Amino acid sequence: MVAELVDAVAPTRPRIRVQGVVKSFSGRVVVDVDDIVLGEQPIEGLIGPNGAGKTTLMRMIMHSTPLDRGRISLLPAGGGEVVLSGLPAHRMARHGVVKSNQVIMDFDKLTIWDSLLLAAAETRYEQPHRIFSERTVFAKHEDEIRTYLDYFGFADPTGFALSAGEKKLLDIVRCLLLRPTFLLLDEPTAGLPAELTEKVMTVIRDLAAAGTSVVIVEHDLNVIWSLCDVVHFMAEGSVILNGDPQSIRANRTVVEKYLGEGHV
Amino acid sequence: MNLDWLDAFLITGLFQVVMVTGLALLLHLQLGLARIANFGVVGFWGLGMYVFGVLYVQVDWPFGEPFQFLVCAAAAALVAGVAGLLVGWLIADLDTDGVLVGTLGFATAVQILAITQDDLTGGARGMGGLGFPYDIGKVKENELLWLMIMTVVVVAIFFYAWRVHRSPYGRLLVAVGGNEALARSLGKSTFRTKLWLFAVGSAGMGLIGAMNGVMARYLDVGSLGVGVTLAAMVGLILGGTARVWGAVVGVILTVGLFDIVVQSYLPLPEEWYSQALPVLREAAFGLTLMLVLLFRPLGLLGDMRRDKLMGKIHGR
Amino acid sequence: MDLDFITQSLVIGLTENAPLVLAAIGFALLYKLTGLINVAYSETITLGAYFGMWLNTTYGLDFYTVLIPTGLLAGLLSVATYLAIFRPAKRRNVGGLEMIIISFGLSIFLRHGLQFVFGYPVRFYDVPPPDTIMVLGVGVTSFRLLAVVSVAVLSVLLWVFIQRSRYGLQIRALANDENLAKVSGIRPLVVTTLIWFIAGVAGGLAGAFYGVGANVSPLLGWRQFLLILMVALVGGSWGLGGVILVGVGTSVALAAMALQFDQTLYAQLVLIVAFIVVLKVRGTRLTETAKV
Repeated sequence: MVAELVDAVAPTRPRIRVQGVVKSFSGRVVVDVDDIVLGEQPIEGLIGPNGAGKTTLMRMIMHSTPLDRGRISLLPAGGGEVVLSGLPAHRMARHGVVKSNQVIMDFDKLTIWDSLLLAAAETRYEQPHRIFSERTVFAKHEDEIRTYLDYFGFADPTGFALSAGEKKLLDIVRCLLLRPTFLLLDEPTAGLPAELTEKVMTVIRDLAAAGTSVVIVEHDLNVIWSLCDVVHFMAEGSVILNGDPQSIRANRTVVEKYLGEGHV
Repeated sequence: MNLDWLDAFLITGLFQVVMVTGLALLLHLQLGLARIANFGVVGFWGLGMYVFGVLYVQVDWPFGEPFQFLVCAAAAALVAGVAGLLVGWLIADLDTDGVLVGTLGFATAVQILAITQDDLTGGARGMGGLGFPYDIGKVKENELLWLMIMTVVVVAIFFYAWRVHRSPYGRLLVAVGGNEALARSLGKSTFRTKLWLFAVGSAGMGLIGAMNGVMARYLDVGSLGVGVTLAAMVGLILGGTARVWGAVVGVILTVGLFDIVVQSYLPLPEEWYSQALPVLREAAFGLTLMLVLLFRPLGLLGDMRRDKLMGKIHGR
Repeated sequence: MDLDFITQSLVIGLTENAPLVLAAIGFALLYKLTGLINVAYSETITLGAYFGMWLNTTYGLDFYTVLIPTGLLAGLLSVATYLAIFRPAKRRNVGGLEMIIISFGLSIFLRHGLQFVFGYPVRFYDVPPPDTIMVLGVGVTSFRLLAVVSVAVLSVLLWVFIQRSRYGLQIRALANDENLAKVSGIRPLVVTTLIWFIAGVAGGLAGAFYGVGANVSPLLGWRQFLLILMVALVGGSWGLGGVILVGVGTSVALAAMALQFDQTLYAQLVLIVAFIVVLKVRGTRLTETAKV
C-alpha cells in the first residue's frame, strides 16, 4: 500500500556524518558532537532529556540553524559527499534530506490540499508566468496525495488542519511527499492518538525497508524500543552512548539521567 | 461624439481610481500574499513614468505612433522591472524593518534623481511634451479613450492576480508570506520567489506609471512623494489585503470617494478645493489605515477562503 | 583635502545636523526598547517645531524660553499616541508589519491634520536674527551652537539615565524580557510611558531646532525621517553610543558632500545608498533560533 509509493527511493542506504560540530547560544554550549554517523541502520532513535540538544542538532543538520564550528555531510547511497553545512536550507530537500517539526508548524491560510500540493509540486510549475498550471500539478500528484489522505483519515482535505494532531500529521505527510532519502522525525507521534501513532510507525517501517534512512527523536519510548535498530543517547549537548535498544534501556547512565528506575 | 455632458473631472477621477486599483492589485500580491511591506510603490511607478517621459520627449524616434508610445512604455516597464529586481535582491533576505528602509530608500532615491537630473527631467519645473498616441478629436475624447485603455490594462492585471490565487505560484506566495522558514524546509527557494515577485510587480507599476504620464501630459516631481504609495496602500488595506477584490473595493471607497464623489458631486465651497480637500483626503487616508488595522485588520472583505476555493477547483 | 574643507565640514556638519543626532537618539530609544519602527516619530519632530513656533508667536517668548515647554508638549503628544494607538494595537496582537503600517497611517494623519490647526502656509519663528559666533574660522549662529550643546548634554544625560539610574535599569530590563521584568515588580505601563515621553521630548526639541533655523512646514520631520531611520538602524546595534557615533559621522558626511557637490540632495542620495549597502552586508537580523 504505502510501500509501493515509497519505492521510488534509492535502493541503498544514505548516511549523515556529523563532525566536530559545536553550537552555543548566549555563551552556553548547546551542542557539542565529536564524530557520529547516522543512517547505518534503517531506523535510528535519538533520545535524551529535555535540553540535551536533540532538536538543535537536527536543525543544524537541516542548516536552518548555523553551525559555530564543524561540518555535517550527507553520504548518499550512490557514493560521494555533499557538505550539508555549506548548503542553504532550501537545498536540503533536493538532496532528499527532510525533517518534520517538533513544534507545530503550519501554513494557517492554506488548506490541507494546498499544503500537500505545495510539498509535492515541482518548482517549474511555481513560476510567475505559470498561472494555468494548477490542473497539471493536481493531476500529477492527486493519486499519491489521496492515498495518504485516506490512509491517515483526513476527513475534509478541502478544509484546514485544525487540531494539533492534524497539523502534526500534515507535517509528516508533507515530508513523505518530498520523497526523502534521509528522513529526520522530531517527536512525530507527540499529541497523536494510538491508532494514528501505529499508522505513522507502519509508514516509517515501510519507508526504511525501501531504503530511506530514518532518524527519530522521541520521548515516547515505546515507539523507540519497537521501531529502532540502533539508539543514540544524548545529554548536555553530546551523544554519549550508542547501542541497540536493549542495551541502551538497561544502561546505568541512561537510567540515571533520563529513564528513571521505574522504566526498566 | 458629443461629450459635453461628461465632466472632465469625472474622467480624471475615474482614471485615478483605475490606476490606483492597478497599483493596489500588484501590491496585493506583494503585501497581501507574500507579506512584503513595499513602501516604495511610488518609486517604481515614478521611475516608469519618468523613463517613459524622458524617452518619449527627448529621443528623436524614427517611427510615429503608436510605436513610439509602445517602445517607450516597454522600456519604462523594463527599467522599472530591473529596478525591482535590484531592490528585490536587496530586501528579499531582510526582515520587515530592512524592507521598509530598502523600499522607502529606493522611492526617495528616485525622487532625488528626478529633481537633480533636471536637464533630463525638467526637475522642479516639470516636463511637458507628452501626448496621447492617437488623436480622435477633442481633449475629452482622447482622455476618455485613454481611460478605457487603462481600464483594459488594469482588468488584465486583475485577471492575472485572480489566476495567481488559483495556481501553484499563488500557493507558494501564500506559503512564503505565512511561514517562510517552513516553505524553505520544503525545498522552496523563497529568496528567488520574492525576488521575481518584486521584479514582475515593479514592471507592472512602471507600466502604470508610464500610462499615467500620458494622461497627465505634464510630469511633476511633486507626484513622486509618498501620496501614490499611500493611496494604493489604504485602498488595499481597507478593502482587504487577502482578497483580490479587496484592492478594487478599497480603492473605490477611498480614491473613488474623494476623487469622484467629493470632487464632482458634493456642493462644497469653492475655496475648499485648492487646499482643504487635498489635505483632508490624506488625513482621512491616514486615519483609515489606523482604524482598519486596529479594528478589522483583514479589511472589509476579510480573509481569503481557500477552503471554498479548493472545494470549487478540486471537488471533494 | 585641505584643512579648511575638513574644519568646515566638521563645524557645519555638527552644528547644522545636531538635531539629526538628537532625533536619531530618540527614535533609536523607542526602537531598541519597544521593537517598534514608529514612522509617526517624524511628526513628533514636526509638531515640536510647530509647538515651539506657536508658543513663540502667541506668547512672545524668545526661543530659549520655549524650548522646555516645547519638549514637554512633544513628550506628552508622544505618550498620547502610545496610549491611544500603539498600546491598544499591541493588546489586540497586531503583528509587526501591521504596526509599521499603523504608524505610517498616524504619520500621514498628523502631518495633514496639523494643517487644520496651524494652517496650510509655511510658518516661521518670530525671533531676532541670532548672533554669529566664529568656531574654528567658520561662522555659526548661536541657535545652532545651542543645538550642539543641547544634543551633547542631553545625550550624556540620557546615557547616564539609561545606564545608571533605577528607572534606566527598569527600562533595560523591560526591553530584555517583558515577562521576567513584570515578575520582578516592574510596571510595564509606567516604564514604557516613560520611554515614549523621553523619545517625544528628544524629537520635539530636534524639531524646534530645525524649525528656528529655517521654517516650519508639515514636511519638516518627514524630510529627515529616512536618514534618522538609517542612522538608528545602523548605529543602534552598538547601543546609544553607536547611534551618536553614526549620527555624528552622517552629519559631517552630509556637510562635506554638500560642500563638495554644492547640492544637498546628492549628499542624501549617497548616504541612502551607503546605508542600504551596510544593512545588506550586515545581513539579515533573523534570529539564530530557527523554528524549523
